[in-house]
Order: sequence, then structure tokens, then C-alpha cells
Amino acid sequence: MLETLANWVSLNISEEAGTWFQYFSNGKHLAWYASVRYTLFAAVVGAIVAVLFGVIGAAARRSGFAPLRWLGLTYTTMVRGIPDVLFILFFPLAFEQLVEFVISRSACTAAELASGAWPPCDAAQWYLSTTEYLIMASVSLGIVYGAFAANVIHGAMNSVPKGQLESARAFGFTNRQIFWNFQVRQMWVYALPGLSNVWMLLLKATSFLSLMQIADIVLWADRLGAPNYFARAGLVHPDWRWKYYFVLFLFYILLTVISERIFEWLQRRAGRGMALHGAD
Amino acid sequence: MDWLLGNAIVQDIITLARPATFNIYFALVSIPIGFPFAVLLAVMKNSSNGLVSRIARTYIYAFRGSPLFIQFFMFYSLMLAFNLSHWKPMGIDHVVMHPLFIGPLVLILNTSAYGAEIFYGALRTLPKGEMEAAQAFGMNRWQIFTTVTWPNVLRLSWPAYTNEVVFLFHATALVYFTLPVINEQKDLMNKAGELFERDYKVFLHFGVAGLYFLVLSMLIFFISGLLYKRMNAHLDSAGEEQASIKFKPNYIR
Repeated sequence: MLETLANWVSLNISEEAGTWFQYFSNGKHLAWYASVRYTLFAAVVGAIVAVLFGVIGAAARRSGFAPLRWLGLTYTTMVRGIPDVLFILFFPLAFEQLVEFVISRSACTAAELASGAWPPCDAAQWYLSTTEYLIMASVSLGIVYGAFAANVIHGAMNSVPKGQLESARAFGFTNRQIFWNFQVRQMWVYALPGLSNVWMLLLKATSFLSLMQIADIVLWADRLGAPNYFARAGLVHPDWRWKYYFVLFLFYILLTVISERIFEWLQRRAGRGMALHGAD
Repeated sequence: MDWLLGNAIVQDIITLARPATFNIYFALVSIPIGFPFAVLLAVMKNSSNGLVSRIARTYIYAFRGSPLFIQFFMFYSLMLAFNLSHWKPMGIDHVVMHPLFIGPLVLILNTSAYGAEIFYGALRTLPKGEMEAAQAFGMNRWQIFTTVTWPNVLRLSWPAYTNEVVFLFHATALVYFTLPVINEQKDLMNKAGELFERDYKVFLHFGVAGLYFLVLSMLIFFISGLLYKRMNAHLDSAGEEQASIKFKPNYIR
């Protein structure tokens, strides 16, 4: 179908447009366009995990049990001192080793286990496919940006007017009802600006996927832009990498613009029925 | 002494000391140059001239809205594209194609956009009364800038800018993922990755690399906190409360 389309373009528009159409619809380019799905998947799944970890982290920080509170505090502050890329690389590797360690307990002989080599035997080697790497990368992003989200949610929970919670109590609502129907329900309008920032960070961090064995848009841009030489056709194009990276640069800016619009809409929705300045 | 040197963690701390200097180098070069550039961009964005303001706005939006990782790749390949036609004939290719040059270059472009947004925010919240008082005294625009605008901007934006400096320091971890590694010129992440591939001890090597980042980040917060106290020295007890930078993630880059 693409070939017919290319023919139609070169016949009806111009020969040159047809050539370009063919170039931009060749197999490698189609693979590039398709690899956007990894980026979007990692962003969306990462965000869901991040909100989940954010709520858990914030709840831990408010816990009455001190060790849990310290754990929450450690989790939420660790991202301040250590680069996100270190965590994003660390979590999948650590998880992989944990799984391999568990497998090796049963799969390897005692002598192999004592040798100190890693992995102790071939049977314990866990071979991963793109799907597994992608899930691990997404969860890893979620854990790291969950720490940012926990800070935001923690702050937002404290911003809900005390009077609201007190009047709910006076009306005879249970603690659980107060937490979910008042505190969490009203928290979002205070949390959204912060969560929007976290989403932007997470979105930009999806560019790290190529560091985790995933053939994502960055890797394909690099492959496509590299000087392209065929014995039959000669030099197809010189080094065009900067052009391909420029497209990615614009792609991420576009995602940012779209995200901003969506968050503006969400902010309006979250503020419905609440007496706030600037929201209706 | 041997028991200490034999310790795997101590071994790693020693091995990673030299790579750490590369991260420190990138941060130390980028911040002093990025800072004035950020101020300039903030003033441009705040300008009443539509064109000037729009240029700064676009620049800031583009660099804040795209990943640094992509920016590194883009600028490196852009420099590479000009290498044969421009840098080589000019005889400066050894300098301008070097990661120790391109690394800070991209970091400066990036951090100045983030910094500019912070300073712009401070410019918008300047105390009106002080500005009017300065005008009433008959000061010219430059005098107002140096005596009222600038000290206030610096004071207002200092906690957020400190945060940006720490983020920039963390961003130095990306340099050698994107630029070529020359011989033993490796940064913390790079060396930690190399050590990991040797014996697969992920907790040890990444942990020690993380420790370096953590300690140096704390150092930045500490020094910045001291400077912030000095900046607020003239304020009375009402200002005392805000006159300390807490190790509290209030600001997100």
C-alpha cells in the first residue's frame, strides 16, 4: 500500500516528493515511528506507578509508626541527593540480580554457588526480552518519580483546609470517610501543579530507555541518522544525526505542550465546586 | 591499615575519587557561565520589547521542555556535522570536539534556561514599594537594577537556584552516556558502570557512586545555606524563619 501511495505522490505531486515519501516510509523509518510506543508506554505506566508510590510514600510519611515514617522520609528525600539516572539504571539491574539469585539457589550446585562468580551457573542466567526490560524500566521510572510525587502529595494533603476536615468530623463521618472523601478528594487541586512538574520530569526521563536495552526513538534516530552507504546506490546521505535528534527535540517539546494543555484542563476539573482563587 | 584498604567499599571510594573530579569539573565550569547567562535571559523575558521577550521565552521553553539527554546528542552531532567543514580548517577541532568542551557547553545552554525561569519568577515578585521608593529618589534604571532589583532577585531566588545547581550537578552524570569517552577520562556513572561489568556487584558500585553524589549535593546545600544566611542578615526576626535552606524537596526542577 505504501508503494502505491509513493507512486501516486511521485506521479501527482512531483518526482522528488515521491522519493522523499519513499525514504520516510522505508522499513527503518517505520520501525522508528513504531518505537514511539515504548516511550509512551513507559511514560504512562511510569506515571501510574509514580502516583501509586507517591500516595504510599506520603502515607508512610504521615504514619504514626516511627520506623515507617523514617522510611517514607528516606524515600522522599533520596532523590534530592542522588541523580535520577543512577536510580533508573540501578533498579532494573538490582531486580534482575535478585531474580537470578533466587533461581541460582535451586538451579546451581553447591560448588558453583561457592565459586563466587556471577551468575553462578548458566541455568541461573535470566534472559530478558524487550517487554521485560520495558516493564522494569517503567517501574523504575515510577519508583524514582514516585519519590517526587510523594513530596507533592504530602504537601497537598497538608494544604487541605483543616476546617473542612473538622466539620466533616462534626457531621459524624468516620476517619476513613474523612480521609478518602475529604482529604484525598480535595487534595488534587493542590497537588496538580506539582504533579504536572513531576509528569514533565518523567516524560523527559523516558529518553533514557535506550540505556536499558530498549530500541526506543533515541536509538533509532541514531541508527537512521548515521551516514548511509550502499554499494549499489552509493552514499544515500551523509551524517544526518543532528537532523534526527532535532526531530526528537521538537517531539518532546510537542509532548510538553500537549501535557500542559491537559493539566490546565485537569486543574479546572479538580477545582470544581471548591472555593478557590483563580479556579471556578 | 590493610584491613581498611582491603574493604570493598573503601576500595571503591578510592577508585571513584578521580572520576568524581570530572563531575565536579563539569559543574564548576557550567555554573559560573550559566549563571550570568540565566540572568540575562530572565531580564530579556521580562523585557517590554515584544521581540526580545519572545526570543527568551522560546529559548527557555524549548530547553526546559526537552530532555537534556536529547540536547547532548543533538549538539554533539551538530558539532560533528561542522567538524570537517569548519572546525578542522580552523584548527580548533581538538578543542571544540572534546567532551570536556561540549559537555559544559550543553550544560550551560540547559541550566541557563532553568535558571532564567527561576530568576524571571523572582523578577515578577519584586517588592513594589522599594521600586517606587527608588524611583522617587530619582535613581536611573541602572541604579535601580543594582541597588533594588538585583539584590532582591538574588535573595528571592536563592533557594530555588540552589536546587537548580544540585540538579545541574546531577545532570553531569549524563555527559559520558552521550559523548565519547577518551582513555581514562570517565565520570562517576561511567566508572561505576565499568566496575559493575567486571564483577556485577550492583549495590556496591552504584551505591558508592550514589554516595559521592549525595555527599557533594549536601555540600552544595550547606555552602548555599551559609551564603543565604549572609544575604538575609539585614532582615529582622521575621526573616529568620525563611533564612535557612532546609534539606527539603520543595522545588522541582
